[in-house]
Amino acid sequence: MSDLANSDIAEPDQPPAGWPAPRSAYIHVPFCRHRCGYCNFSVVAQRDDLIQQYLESINAELAGLGRPEVDTVFIGGGTPTHLATPQLQRLMQIVEHRFAIQPNVEWSMEANPEDISAEKLAVMRDSGVNRLSLGVQSFSDGKLQLLERSHRGIEAEEIIQLAAGAIPNISIDLIFAAPKETLAEWTEDLQKAFSLPIAHLSTYALTYEKGTSFWTRARSGNLSAATEQLEVDMYNAARQAAKQSGWEHYEISNFAKSESQCRHNLAYWHGRGWYAAGPGAASFVGGHRNVNHRSTTTYLKRMAAGQDPVAESEAISTVQYARELAAFGIRMLAGIDVVKLSRETGVDLGDECRLGIEEATRHGWLAASDGRMRLTQQGVLFADSVAACFLSD
Amino acid sequence: MSVHIRNFAIIAHIDHGKSTLADRLLEHTGTVSNREMKEQLLDDLELERQRGITIKARAVVMQFERNGKKYELNLIDTPGHVDFQYEVSRSLACCEGVLLLVDAFQGVEAQTVANAYAAMEHDLKIIPVINKIDLMHARPDEVAEEMMNSLGTDPDECVRVSAKTGEGVDGLVDAIIEHIPPPTGDPKATLQAMVFDSNYDDYRGAITYVRIMQGTVKKGQKIAFLRSGTSHEVVELGRFAPQRQSTDVLAAGQVGYLICNIKSLGDVHIGDTISIPGDKAAEALPGYSRPKRMVYCGLFPSDGQDFSELRDALERLAVNDPSFEFEPETSDALGFGFRCGFLGLLHMEIVQQRLEKESDVDLVQTAPNVTYEIINKRGETITIHKPQDVPDPGDIEEFRQPIVRCNVIVPDDFIGAVMKLCQERRGIQQSQEYLAAGRAMLTYDIPLAEVVYDLHDKIKSATRGYGTLDYEMVGYEAADLCRLDIMVNGNRVDALSVVCNKADADRRGRAVAKTLKKEIERHMFEVAVQAAIGSRVIARETVPAMRKNVTAKCYGGDITRKRKLLQKQKEGKKRMKAIGNVEISQKAFMAVLSDGEQG
Ligand SMILES: Nc1nc2c(ncn2[C@@H]2O[C@H](COP(=O)(O)OP(=O)(O)OP(=O)(O)O)[C@@H](O)[C@H]2O)c(=O)[nH]1
Ligand code: SF4
Ligand SMILES: [Mg+2]
Repeated sequence: MSDLANSDIAEPDQPPAGWPAPRSAYIHVPFCRHRCGYCNFSVVAQRDDLIQQYLESINAELAGLGRPEVDTVFIGGGTPTHLATPQLQRLMQIVEHRFAIQPNVEWSMEANPEDISAEKLAVMRDSGVNRLSLGVQSFSDGKLQLLERSHRGIEAEEIIQLAAGAIPNISIDLIFAAPKETLAEWTEDLQKAFSLPIAHLSTYALTYEKGTSFWTRARSGNLSAATEQLEVDMYNAARQAAKQSGWEHYEISNFAKSESQCRHNLAYWHGRGWYAAGPGAASFVGGHRNVNHRSTTTYLKRMAAGQDPVAESEAISTVQYARELAAFGIRMLAGIDVVKLSRETGVDLGDECRLGIEEATRHGWLAASDGRMRLTQQGVLFADSVAACFLSD
Repeated sequence: MSVHIRNFAIIAHIDHGKSTLADRLLEHTGTVSNREMKEQLLDDLELERQRGITIKARAVVMQFERNGKKYELNLIDTPGHVDFQYEVSRSLACCEGVLLLVDAFQGVEAQTVANAYAAMEHDLKIIPVINKIDLMHARPDEVAEEMMNSLGTDPDECVRVSAKTGEGVDGLVDAIIEHIPPPTGDPKATLQAMVFDSNYDDYRGAITYVRIMQGTVKKGQKIAFLRSGTSHEVVELGRFAPQRQSTDVLAAGQVGYLICNIKSLGDVHIGDTISIPGDKAAEALPGYSRPKRMVYCGLFPSDGQDFSELRDALERLAVNDPSFEFEPETSDALGFGFRCGFLGLLHMEIVQQRLEKESDVDLVQTAPNVTYEIINKRGETITIHKPQDVPDPGDIEEFRQPIVRCNVIVPDDFIGAVMKLCQERRGIQQSQEYLAAGRAMLTYDIPLAEVVYDLHDKIKSATRGYGTLDYEMVGYEAADLCRLDIMVNGNRVDALSVVCNKADADRRGRAVAKTLKKEIERHMFEVAVQAAIGSRVIARETVPAMRKNVTAKCYGGDITRKRKLLQKQKEGKKRMKAIGNVEISQKAFMAVLSDGEQG
């Protein structure tokens, strides 16, 4: 750690080449048709009356950035496609106006199958969207109903086919370990997914988050969570299925066909900077992690009053930066390049995290080869424990 | 012009307003100016201010003129909590009278009775004072009657005051002057002074608090501590006003302090008598009985922390708190630590809090227990301060536990509920009497172990806060007790053993195993928790092995949140002890207190 007593002028704590200049942008759209029982995101349902005000707030929030260049844009939510076509058009216009979108951009849009129409697809494509992330969750009607999703399995299939015709890179989300779901049912979802024209898959085990109706129901005993073993089996089934289809498992929860990894998310995991706007949105600019107010109405109120929407701001140290890069970077199956990471942050990671690395290695979660540290087969199931080892001793 | 001295203590149930009344008296007598005044001025320890209660008794002198006469009133503000009863009894030995304060709404409560009896035992003049008459629901007449019925005080003598508004305080000063007898000592007699407290000042060394019974002490004089047999020169002496204020002499009847270049508090014994050196010394005063340690627990440094640092911290603390004791202890499971004795659970909590604040040690504390006596087959009596010392059943002739006499004062609507509680706790009723219409005092003899952990809280919740409890030791009695052991992956963990009633053992064993299952974090392997008496296993629970620990989603916004969460989990691991390869947290060590009553 730096010893301030040694220098007369305290040098700012930053990596040798300065903090990474952001080349990515995230926009949070907090609107949904209704709130799904398991969801604890920053969203509002049945408040479409706020959309117009929201769009102007986003425009205002981004105004101060000075139109920086970006290589990736991610419009997430919530459900961006819940916006009516003109509103969606306006949002994309704002993004184009506020950022210098680079020619090779990866522009992702999150979407729910029930909102997709040929018209919306065309509008998105024409505005530059080249990657669609569809909240499919399952192809089974029973499971979809249980998850309180508004589409049916067959509709999801049709939408994927339709979307693939308009936008080259389609990603879908699938949830597993839903109440009562069996391994066989999950395998069916997987098979269906890999038979469709998609290039990317994100899978998540259902979690019961505080404050959701699922959490309350599980606590009162009228929803039974899957056993841990079943969850592990289902996860392994996904890895297996991806492997058989020749896909790459590149991050804990993400699989991609060749060259179709999500560049935007890679920027997070590689610890690059990014801009963000909208309620609950988190940015990383100039060594600061800022998080906007999570409540949509508070966010809008603050913006309307000309106040700062940021609820939390944290300046991170280079040591913390190095530790975070390792903790979150290790989630990628390609692992982390320790030498490069140490050079870029100016922090000797092997030294700083020696105890943690030893601990994770002792458990058989972490292994080093050809200059990289990677999660082992077993370590993939203990990524949080490994992350904790990197974050503190 | 001669000075008229009065020495008195303010005693009461907790929160009845002693310290607030002391504020008003200090103000009224001009001892403290408005500018210096703050609420409960005498509660100047940080912990006292945090908790809003008095922990240590404080003496102050108030000097003023009234009707052309000079007065010197020595006031001692005492704590109300049962754990600090000892502070009250020490204070009483320095006084000729007390203000017995009763809250005009709450009425007579358990510690009111206990303190009044203590004052009577010391033959002190009691001035009954009804405080908080400003309260909307004050019922001073009824309270005066309650006091008459339970304590024998004269309702006409009750002084009614509000320590908050100051109403009645002037009349109270008159009552103090008129009714409390002046001290009787002779300033010309041989010096005889009572050491009633002491503390340590980093610059001046030990400060000895004294009440001069006979004679006079002057600056520069040689004095002798009769019990410890040491002599010293008085470097400074004076009174508390409320800060130390040096004077040249202290004479019979006065309360003040002496500084004698004493480097260690261990050389000053509370209850000792000070006189002159040589064979002309005065007679020693009776002194005090030592405070009784009611509960014990083990304190150990968490894994990876320094034993010697904990020892230093304990030593520092004990210097100013003679009622707390400790001795080195070794546990198979926890390693080197200390067995510590406390006056009660509040005292334990306070000591622990101070230790952590004043040193850098994270503590692992074992569940508190009381002291037992065992008569073994050879007829020897062994005192047991920790459950793991209980010998094998075959070597026990008689297993004895401490019994306390409990006085519970309750509105009569709740008599049934309180009786039920006391019976469940194996209490034997001694008496029941009415203090007034609608208020009764129940007296039970109950094993201390059943009282000390949570009986007070249970009584509070069974009586909507109206019931109060006080207790005092009566002695040891034989009981059907056994040692309940806990095994973790087959190894007995000595620090988790408890003593319990045989009839409860099965229920307790199951409850403890269940709670431990919840409190022990999952490991990479299965952890078996068993409860056993001797070789008989009475309960078994399994903490399944951890199969995964990974959150699926982790994108931009999750990074800060996740980091904080993971770090918090790691922090939580700080108060851990590894038993074999199983990590056990502080909370788990407390799990052995679960009694199986809830869930
Ligand atoms: N309304 C009213 N409140 C009072 C009066 N006297 C004290 N209080 C309040 O009662 C509470 C307890 O007062 P303290 O003076 O700390 O009581 P105590 O008897 O010294 O308490 P311990 O030292 O903990 O036993 C405080 O909140 C006071 O403000 C009074 O005459 N009227
Ligand atoms: S659609 Fe997505 S963001 Fe909206 S409530 Fe459902 S899960 Fe949450
Ligand atoms: Mg007090």
